[in-house]
Amino acid sequence: MTDGYILETQALALAYGGFRAVDGVDLKVREGTIHSVIGPNGAGKTSLFHCLTGGRRPTEGSILFAGEDITRRPAHRRIGIGMARSFQVTSLFQNLSVRENLRLAAQGRDGDRALTFWRSVAEGKAHLALADEVMERLNLTARAGVAAGDLSHGQQRVLEVGMALCGRPKMLLLDEPTSGMGIDDIPVMTGLISELGRDHTVMLIEHNMGIVMSISHTITVMSRGQILVEGKPDEVCADARVRAAYLGEAA
Amino acid sequence: MTAFLKSKGIFGGMTLAVAAILVLLPLLLPSATLASEILIFAMAALACNLLLGYGGLLSFGQGLFFGAGSYLASLAMIHGGFGLIPALLAAAVAGAVLATCVGWLSIRRAGIYFVMLTLAFSQMGYFLAYTLSKWTGGDNGLLDVPRPDLSLFGIRIADLSSAGAYYTLVAVLFFAVFVGARRVIDSPFGSTLVAIRENETRAAAIGFDTRHFKMLAFTLSGAVTALAGALYAMLINYVPLDNIAMSMSENIVIMTIIGGTGSLLGSLLGAGALVTLGDILSAMWPRWQMLLGLALILIVMFLRGGLWGGVEHALDRFLKIREKGNAP
Ligand SMILES: Nc1ncnc2c1ncn2[C@@H]1O[C@H](COP(=O)(O)OP(=O)(O)OP(=O)(O)O)[C@@H](O)[C@H]1O
Ligand SMILES: [Mg+2]
Repeated sequence: MTDGYILETQALALAYGGFRAVDGVDLKVREGTIHSVIGPNGAGKTSLFHCLTGGRRPTEGSILFAGEDITRRPAHRRIGIGMARSFQVTSLFQNLSVRENLRLAAQGRDGDRALTFWRSVAEGKAHLALADEVMERLNLTARAGVAAGDLSHGQQRVLEVGMALCGRPKMLLLDEPTSGMGIDDIPVMTGLISELGRDHTVMLIEHNMGIVMSISHTITVMSRGQILVEGKPDEVCADARVRAAYLGEAA
Repeated sequence: MTAFLKSKGIFGGMTLAVAAILVLLPLLLPSATLASEILIFAMAALACNLLLGYGGLLSFGQGLFFGAGSYLASLAMIHGGFGLIPALLAAAVAGAVLATCVGWLSIRRAGIYFVMLTLAFSQMGYFLAYTLSKWTGGDNGLLDVPRPDLSLFGIRIADLSSAGAYYTLVAVLFFAVFVGARRVIDSPFGSTLVAIRENETRAAAIGFDTRHFKMLAFTLSGAVTALAGALYAMLINYVPLDNIAMSMSENIVIMTIIGGTGSLLGSLLGAGALVTLGDILSAMWPRWQMLLGLALILIVMFLRGGLWGGVEHALDRFLKIREKGNAP
């Protein structure tokens, strides 16, 4: 590992056709920190996440995770090295129970060992135990048997984070975990994320400035596919370019 | 009652119900041959259900696997001197290999293109069988398929020439396949397959290589379908070209949907309904398959869970009414 950085990108770019949604990003994420990515709508934050988590292959540049080049590694092979993500648009197994959602996420860590077809899932005690543990932590135990699609929106967002957690990752990449959440639910999510920050590296995309400013160690501001500013919360807050980018988009 | 049928243990609940059905079937139906035919198609529908109901994969390649099983087992017995068990095993292995290849290539595309690919392979198989008429008999079918005695390590166990004896063999194999299928569905593999059907992006994001799971679903489905094909050839002592035709794929898929996807008992029900109806109606009216179309339309429009879904719903309702009646 280089200088305590768990994730590094070099000149990372992702183009949709001719449009460069991510345009030459050099990013370094220090291990054990909460590193937020902010920026106006369409800045390329989610596209950057897609590259980091293998959802899309970057058109240029490279990604190092724990010193290893993972640029061309498909999404399903990033769980095993300790990366897990949540989605901006809730992406659960809607018709399966909360417990089954989490159990599957725990089983995902096994990769192809889950091809076992001659044994009952009940024998996978470790997966069930992890699912139950995460469920307890998310305060969803009372809803264990409920289909994920029947949870309230706030609970679905919490479960979304729990799915990533069940991969037992070193690094969590959370894409707007509070998106669409009511004002009452947000403190719960904020608490959860800062708690996760204690034993994981967390990379967080977030629009809610209150959360970002209160829990981040480092903030990267993106605009038009590029990094505009990076620094500690108070530095970023005071930066004139950041204000301009936000106001510019709003105007 | 429905809770009993939903109980988890692979030998409990639904499996007991199936065991009872297997015993009663030849007694209730006019002939043991008809009962064998039902179970053979139920096996094929079960295999289709694994792909369609659990994996969300609509394969029109099922007829290819069925036909390949029929031909391979028959040719192995006629030309290779294979006994019953080796011929059935060879068919299952060949079906598994063939389905793995078809699956491996087809799952590279999603949605409608995937379906078209399975269809294309199925058509290729048909024309291949048609062309190789020296081996397959082409349009005339492969005649004089034997039904050897059941023997193990050279020791003769049973003469299967009577319809009843053959039914017993088919019923035992069906039972084994059914129990196996329940285990598969309740396994890490089966649960992952359902997850992939529900949300493939998420399944990949939590660490599953979804292609491997779909491919294994094909492998297992192909093995069972080919086994059914082999049993069918021995049942009617003949392999019609229809066994590998588009219409076979169609029939298997229709049985699966009419019975109800996502329930193993549904496949038995679907095959039972179609084979029995076909048997009764084809004698009275050669165009009876028009009714099949109508039945499929009605079920898809009004009974989304298929026949089994309807039965379950009716049972639940009945029990609720009775509970109310019993309440003080
Ligand atoms: N699949 C796609 N095809 C083409 N263009 C896309 C695609 N996905 C995103 N874009 C475009 O790329 C740009 C960056 O989108 P992205 O979703 O990464 O932004 P974001 O920073 O996450 O925005 P938001 O805050 O609204 O979530 C936008 O202009 C968007 O319209
Ligand atoms: Mg986004």
